[in-house]
Amino acid sequence: MPLQNAVADALNNSEWVFALAECVHIGGFAVAIGSIALVDFRMLNLGLRRETAARILRDTELWTVVALLFVMFSGVALFLSQVDIYRVNLIFPIKMYVLAAALIYNFTVHRRVATMENPPPFVSKLVAMVSLLLWVSVVFGGIFTGFLV
Amino acid sequence: MPTAHSIQSIDFLTAFSESVLAYPIVLSIHLTCIALFGGMILATDLRLLGVAFKGLTITEVVTSLRAWKRIGGTIMIAMGLLLAASEAEKYAPNPFFWTKMIILGLIGVHALIFRPIVYNKTEELDRSPVIPTKAKVAAILSLVLWTSMVVMGRLIAYWD
Repeated sequence: MPLQNAVADALNNSEWVFALAECVHIGGFAVAIGSIALVDFRMLNLGLRRETAARILRDTELWTVVALLFVMFSGVALFLSQVDIYRVNLIFPIKMYVLAAALIYNFTVHRRVATMENPPPFVSKLVAMVSLLLWVSVVFGGIFTGFLV
Repeated sequence: MPTAHSIQSIDFLTAFSESVLAYPIVLSIHLTCIALFGGMILATDLRLLGVAFKGLTITEVVTSLRAWKRIGGTIMIAMGLLLAASEAEKYAPNPFFWTKMIILGLIGVHALIFRPIVYNKTEELDRSPVIPTKAKVAAILSLVLWTSMVVMGRLIAYWD
């Protein structure tokens, strides 16, 4: 796979590119998860109560999506640079399944309930807690991918 | 570095850094705080710049997130110090670690300077027809400082 080789070469030959990709990855998920968490905190009645969750979602959604793109591009680059390591890693596939679940959940259930006019409070809270749990699990999955090989 | 050695030799810190699970769990909590707490800092800064949340007053954004930022920041720093102390001998000569600590200090200075004139004067900012320059300067410096924190944190691993 030429792309895989090229990316691997670029990242392996200059350590700083790998470091940069990691920084983009971390900075990106901080913005992405942080912006989603603002909606969740609102749905849990823990912050920004003067505004509706729908409005907060509208205000943050672009930031979430752009940051997620940065996270995914840098993540793919990191993956391609060490495919063999990730291939045998026990945690990495779990992280990917949880990530897929978090992404689908975020743009379906989470979005739907956050933009509802008057969702039942317990539904709103449950949806927000599941959202936080999914995204925190993705972060844990990323760290454990690096630690438990 | 005798001091660094004696720090990491404290029993519970040694046990901590040798544990298969404790170290990555604490590191994950550290990063989770960066994500949750980072999002709140970003929200505050973007509101001060007038880029997002214009439907909310600056007062609402600053005051309703303040407690969470404090809780998140405390956990984040506690976890970070635990991580550093357990491997004190590795961290002590690391220039990225000390740069990160200096930036953390600068974040403290930022708070000392801007809390009395921006973060504790939000009602005044809300009354002003345009967002005053001091608020925008505070927001931009905050973004630069926190971005540098993340970058330095990651670069610590690259020094040997």
